[in-house]
Amino acid sequence: MADEDEKQPSDPFAQMVQFYDDWTKTWAGAASEMVSSKSFADSMAQQLESTLSTTQLMRRQMAEIMEQSLQQMSLPTRKQVLSLAERMTNIEMRLDDMEAKLDKVLDLLKKDE
Amino acid sequence: MSLPSIMDGSGLDPEFLKGYTPEQIATAQARYAEGVKVVVDSLKVPVGLTPKDLVWTLNKAKLYRYKPTQPPEARHPIPLLLVYALINKPFIFDLAPGRSFIEYMVDQGFDMYLLDWGIPGPEDQSITFDDYVTEYLSRAVRKVVRVSGADELSMLGYCLGATLATVYVAHYPAAPIRNLILLTAPLDFSSSPEGSMAMWLEEERLDVDRMIGAFGNVPGELIRFWAKLLKPAENFVGAYVGVWKSLGDEQAIRSWQAINRWVEDVIPFAGSAFRQFVVDYVRDNRLIQGQHKVQGQRVDLSNIRAALLNIVAQYDHLVAPAQATSIMDLISSVDKELRVIPSTHVGIMASGRARYKLWPEVVEWLTPRSM
Repeated sequence: MADEDEKQPSDPFAQMVQFYDDWTKTWAGAASEMVSSKSFADSMAQQLESTLSTTQLMRRQMAEIMEQSLQQMSLPTRKQVLSLAERMTNIEMRLDDMEAKLDKVLDLLKKDE
Repeated sequence: MSLPSIMDGSGLDPEFLKGYTPEQIATAQARYAEGVKVVVDSLKVPVGLTPKDLVWTLNKAKLYRYKPTQPPEARHPIPLLLVYALINKPFIFDLAPGRSFIEYMVDQGFDMYLLDWGIPGPEDQSITFDDYVTEYLSRAVRKVVRVSGADELSMLGYCLGATLATVYVAHYPAAPIRNLILLTAPLDFSSSPEGSMAMWLEEERLDVDRMIGAFGNVPGELIRFWAKLLKPAENFVGAYVGVWKSLGDEQAIRSWQAINRWVEDVIPFAGSAFRQFVVDYVRDNRLIQGQHKVQGQRVDLSNIRAALLNIVAQYDHLVAPAQATSIMDLISSVDKELRVIPSTHVGIMASGRARYKLWPEVVEWLTPRSM
């Protein structure tokens, strides 16, 4: 029992940390190599492709249903709202350019004074 | 060595706790609870605290100017604009007082500006990578010149921000950029993609249009997952073992929390910008080959004449040093320097050593060029 006490750390989780440290030395590099392999990349690509196909299909169908419903209720569709937001950004850019031009004009006027 | 069993389905496995005194078990449990709290609280830890003013906005983008801490005579006349990547938030530059690059630079007398791209919404799906240069960065530069009153400025781009900065300076040869600092810049994708994220972005493995069709903007969580997956042991396990080992070291814990918040606080990548970056920049490597066009005009890297400091991280697993270094032979800058720092992609800016390595090197290089 005395020997066991001497070997055993005071923290029960210490052996987990020790395990990780030992594991890292031997397996962390191997894990990085594994995820960097072509076979892993191919496998991940297949899973992603499957997810994207399903998500894209659902998104398209939902968008069509929502668009029809919103049009029937005389409400703007998502596409129309997004288009409006894009137009606002364009207006913002024009205002920014006008402000810059105005700054230049004011600078010139100040110089003339 | 085999993994010891901890849980038995209803709590801590009695076998795992065998031989420990009740006090030792209670201490371990308290440490465990503290560790969990550190991780959970990290998502709320305050960041970006250096005092600043908002001087410009456009769509989601914001330009901040940081309040000076030095008297006017101790300040450098040439302002410095920080440009960060489109993924993750830019507070990597301003993690916490005492650990903030921006705070450090302000204290060194630099007039600091930060361009925050903001979080793209569904309405920003059509913004391309190059739009960020022509529509946003160019206007932000104009504003910095206006607000600072300087004729020229310095620009520091980090990660994808360095790519954007490079394209900007090359596309606008007359732009008022005196000094350009590139930090871990992904520019050249001619080397084998094996072992890098580029391998997962290859045409036969990723249908970019399908991804944009499915998500609109690419979810930040997906990009974070890819980035972490390149070093699975270190990122998915090691990061938390590090917390356990650091418990009790308040400074180390605070540092870990700030970086963890930054890592976890991801933002989406605007769909068209992602598409253009993957296809034009990564797959076709157009920028380095001199084939990339912005607004119908070829982006010629030899147009870059600003003084250039190109810093790469030796152990960067996200941007391999080879991706960042080949630009040195393609630019026209007479004053140019490549420095390799023995650090990682994030550690180079945010580790405890950054304050004693990267930051002073930037100051030492930039100060005589900011007079």
